[in-house]
Amino acid sequence: MSKIIVVGAGIAGLTAAIKASESGVPVNLISPDFSERSQSVMAMGGINASLNTKGENDSVKQHFEDTMNSGCWINDENAVWKLTSNAPKIISWLERLGTSFTRDEKGNVDLRYFGGQKKQRTAYAGARTGKQIVTSLVNECRKKEAEGHVKRFTPFRFVSLIFTDEKECCGVNCINENTGEIKSFTGDAVILATGGFNNLFGRTSGSIHNDGYATAKAFTQGVELANLEMIQYHPTTVKTPVKRMLITEAARGEGGKLFILKDGKPWYFMKEWYPEQAELMPRDVVSRSIYKASDAGRKEVYLDITHLDEKTIKEKLDEVYDVCMTYLNLNPIEEPIPIYPGIHYFMGGIRTDENHKTNINGLYAAGECSCQYHGANRLGGNSLLGAIHGGCIAAENAILENPQGKIISDIVSPDRYEDNRTADIMNKSMGIYRSEDELNNALMELDKINEDNALILLARACIISALERKESRGAHQRIDYPQSNEEFKKSTCVRYDGRIRVSFK
Amino acid sequence: MTAESGSRLNRGYNMNNITVKIKIDNEFKYFEYDGDLNIPVTTLLERLDWPIEYSCSCLQGLCGACAMVINSAPKLACKTFLKDEIMVTKYNQISIEPLSKFPVIKDLKVDRSVLYDAMKDCSLWLQSDARIGEDIDFEYEMSLCLMCGCCMEACPNYGIDDFVGTPVAVYASKLINQETSHDHLKELTNNYKEKFYPTCVKSIACEDICPMGISTQRAISKMNRNSVWKIWHLIR
Ligand SMILES: Cc1cc2nc3c(=O)[nH]c(=O)nc-3n(C[C@H](O)[C@H](O)[C@H](O)COP(=O)(O)OP(=O)(O)OC[C@H]3O[C@@H](n4cnc5c(N)ncnc54)[C@H](O)[C@@H]3O)c2cc1C
Ligand code: SF4
Ligand code: SF4
Ligand code: FES
Repeated sequence: MSKIIVVGAGIAGLTAAIKASESGVPVNLISPDFSERSQSVMAMGGINASLNTKGENDSVKQHFEDTMNSGCWINDENAVWKLTSNAPKIISWLERLGTSFTRDEKGNVDLRYFGGQKKQRTAYAGARTGKQIVTSLVNECRKKEAEGHVKRFTPFRFVSLIFTDEKECCGVNCINENTGEIKSFTGDAVILATGGFNNLFGRTSGSIHNDGYATAKAFTQGVELANLEMIQYHPTTVKTPVKRMLITEAARGEGGKLFILKDGKPWYFMKEWYPEQAELMPRDVVSRSIYKASDAGRKEVYLDITHLDEKTIKEKLDEVYDVCMTYLNLNPIEEPIPIYPGIHYFMGGIRTDENHKTNINGLYAAGECSCQYHGANRLGGNSLLGAIHGGCIAAENAILENPQGKIISDIVSPDRYEDNRTADIMNKSMGIYRSEDELNNALMELDKINEDNALILLARACIISALERKESRGAHQRIDYPQSNEEFKKSTCVRYDGRIRVSFK
Repeated sequence: MTAESGSRLNRGYNMNNITVKIKIDNEFKYFEYDGDLNIPVTTLLERLDWPIEYSCSCLQGLCGACAMVINSAPKLACKTFLKDEIMVTKYNQISIEPLSKFPVIKDLKVDRSVLYDAMKDCSLWLQSDARIGEDIDFEYEMSLCLMCGCCMEACPNYGIDDFVGTPVAVYASKLINQETSHDHLKELTNNYKEKFYPTCVKSIACEDICPMGISTQRAISKMNRNSVWKIWHLIR
């Protein structure tokens, strides 16, 4: 009987554990803290599926096309087709598990507009879609735990992968965050679901648990990564004393408008520049427009929802209301919200094929840590979808693994990461617009940090990927190469063998 | 830098010198803080020149990790602003302690796994597919529970016998709405009757303290109705 090791217990890890255990395979589910603390609970806006209940003739084909167009066609078409085809089934699975989606007047799961999509396709659960989904997945996983199929291990953080002498991945070393003890977990396959590499950039809109260390260490151990330069700046984040916090895209989906004051009057630049989709253009376009219209942040940009009725704001956007009132001392019903783009999502990460397998036998990745569906720019509402679908596919394939070699055990301790200059260097060089000079400069600065550390290697890999992609596409905009180039209609793959090697595949 | 920075954030709040009391290993340790009061307690902890362990993840009141006792009341540290604490504004001091009802791991960090074990012991899951449409607003509200433990800290009876604590009632009240398997409904209500009902005195302390504003009393009343007072759910 095989055993699957899942690292990370957000939406992707929970789904993988549930699905693998449904086929009777025992699962070890490892995470530094409980699922209630994962970044997944922070998702507010929604999850996409072409349910076509709004009489708009929506279809899987259109969801597929919107996802590919937004990703600038460097995402894998087969994988995206499977994702978008599976989306309606995922919503009904979540309904069966008890997720409290908001309903429309006909009793169907309600759908709202989201960026980059002309149809109402984003299902949501009040203002806390992620939390509502996590709650139902946790309940289901609890059942599997009680049945003895899933065994949870907290508080364990990833340290390194364990291989067989045939170069198959068959386990992970982890550190108990309370005691410092290192523990090895071995099985027949490993699924990494450790989220984005937030901490490489200091504070992002997401959870500080997602340190990126699993991705970074796996990279040093021979796992290929892809599209690391594709980093999403969410158009509307607000500066608070704590960090830049997200104002969900749902605010624009419900009718919120962006403006800048020009001669004392609001200038609705999105409406002027993109009359048809305006504020609901894909995120990369909106972020760039804000950058340009505000003269690189020199002028204040506002998100205005004051014209929406109070009920919509307090019920459908209650998280927006709450963030503004608590962290900005601003009432968004009465005053527009000052916003600016901020780092939000990593389209790149561990390179996987359409079965969510990495370049290493026995190793899978799902959720935000994996590079798969979103290409050069992710659509809002597609990442919860990708995390659930990815968890399913990874589990389906991982349970078939049967390693042949003998386990090589080497207990290692985690790298120490003490330098706090990396985040500054990364934020400065990997902004909305990038240039060769700045990127080269960043590499030199990183050289000065005298630490032998996987995260610094990951930082280098991001910058080198950005240097090598000599074009502008989606979230990657080069001042020195402003056009997109057919030659680069591929994924940027990075591999480490003592040196960082880049290729386009 | 963007134009927005600065202007709004400091508007109207004085900088102030305050004494910070933090309970570490059962004894208060004292710190001085001199600065902006428009910050939450998590930011205050970051700014002290002493490394203090505590749990946090989202830093915006969505994950429940950072619950601790602030000026004698359990609260989410990342949402509790210094400027809003009367002890800070009137007496220039703040006291911070770990939740007292859970074992301390280090400093302000506690181990809440008993709560998770209790949820498992009370069979809090669905055996059948969820019934849809009973009362979605209620179910939504009950699913907001962060498992932060503030309610258990405030509850006069948590810690007595094997009382499982408020979140069990909150979760169960949603599940009995959605469950269609009669056997599992019975299991849920029996567990409640045995492990929750005898100890809860309906003192409402939990509802007043819940950072999500969950109406724990509605959950408890519903569970009492269904598991103790009536058996109508079996014949529905
Ligand atoms: C504020 C906000 C709003 C969002 N809104 C939406 C939305 O409306 N729609 C949408 O589709 N997407 C949204 N997203 C994105 C979406 O939430 C995430 O992409 C998605 O939840 C990722 O799920 P995951 O399971 O891959 O990872 P996560 O939920 O991030 O979970 C990662 C897991 O791995 C663990 N982990 C992390 N590091 C390590 C390590 N080193 N070792 C071991 N374990 C580790 C964590 O503890 C956690 O358990 C939003 C994101 C944010 C931040
Ligand atoms: S009921 Fe409220 S106080 Fe209690 S754990 Fe849930 S969110 Fe926290
Ligand atoms: S009602 Fe009172 S006794 Fe019952 S759980 Fe809440 S605080 Fe505890
Ligand atoms: S850190 Fe998540 S609630 Fe405070």
